[in-house]
Amino acid sequence: MIEVPIEKKVLSENQRVAEGLRTSLAESGTLSLNFIGSPGAGKTAFLERTLASLPAGTKAAVLTGDLQTENDAQRLARYGYPVRQITTVGACHLDARMVEKHLEGWDAAALELLFIENVGNLVCPTSYDLGEDAKVVVLSVCEGEDKPLKYPGIFRKAELMILNKIDLLPHVPFKPDLAREYARRIHPEIDIIETSPVTGAGFDRWLAWLHARAARKSRTTVCAQEASNAFAGTGSR
Amino acid sequence: MGVVWETMHEMGIAASILDAVEKELGRYPGYRAAKIGVRIGEYAGVDMNSLQFCFEALVKDSPLAPLELGIEWRNGDELDLGSLELEEIAA
Repeated sequence: MIEVPIEKKVLSENQRVAEGLRTSLAESGTLSLNFIGSPGAGKTAFLERTLASLPAGTKAAVLTGDLQTENDAQRLARYGYPVRQITTVGACHLDARMVEKHLEGWDAAALELLFIENVGNLVCPTSYDLGEDAKVVVLSVCEGEDKPLKYPGIFRKAELMILNKIDLLPHVPFKPDLAREYARRIHPEIDIIETSPVTGAGFDRWLAWLHARAARKSRTTVCAQEASNAFAGTGSR
Repeated sequence: MGVVWETMHEMGIAASILDAVEKELGRYPGYRAAKIGVRIGEYAGVDMNSLQFCFEALVKDSPLAPLELGIEWRNGDELDLGSLELEEIAA
């Protein structure tokens, strides 16, 4: 009997494709966000309101994943931005290859923002890197406050939690303070923004977060390019 | 990998583990794979029982049978392959 160490990620092929995507999106300075939440958390409505609120001339695009139908792509396409549906035909998550395939033919280098709406699911999408800059978890007030405790993986990996549908708070027993406490118990540094796609509440804060995150990425890209140019310059001397 | 493997994400993960075993085994003629170790974190989004079930379902009728899966549970978000135990095939 011999023992051979393999020592690599189980999803190494997905990781390889995701890193390729991340590199190419870094070169173009495109901020890519992967939205994950339960079915019915309001991810599509949130993105609809986001697209409607973006400053004119913003170069944004959306990939939206579902098991079946093109309904979400049709909804999102009304705002004048490029949108593609990824129909997974039963798969419970998007993977990096699906994203790569559905970006084909788009001038990704011209994009400032790429929104990826994952399949409605708080578990499986957590395992798959899509080459995004950040995961955003969407939790609605129609769910339990203890979702962060029940599904800690995604709340731990997400940079931002959108607490969605807050216009319904007068009608549901949801306690936002408790949800925030649970989310921070899992991930103390997570950003949390409360929003309502119906009333537009919280979208000023969300757009400010988006702007700041895009600017941070842009600075990183410029620094990386300057460092790369400096090294290239050093090498040519 | 077809649609069937990807429908349940533990099935996709099990198939990825078997792909890795087959690739590694190709480097060791005269041996069969006895056990593959994986390290899974509690935040990895993987259900251990589902993965075990899917792994056994895929292995059962494959040339890799009776390959065993050894799961080491961790605290983080790891989803990593560990060691592969190989047994010499009797001549």
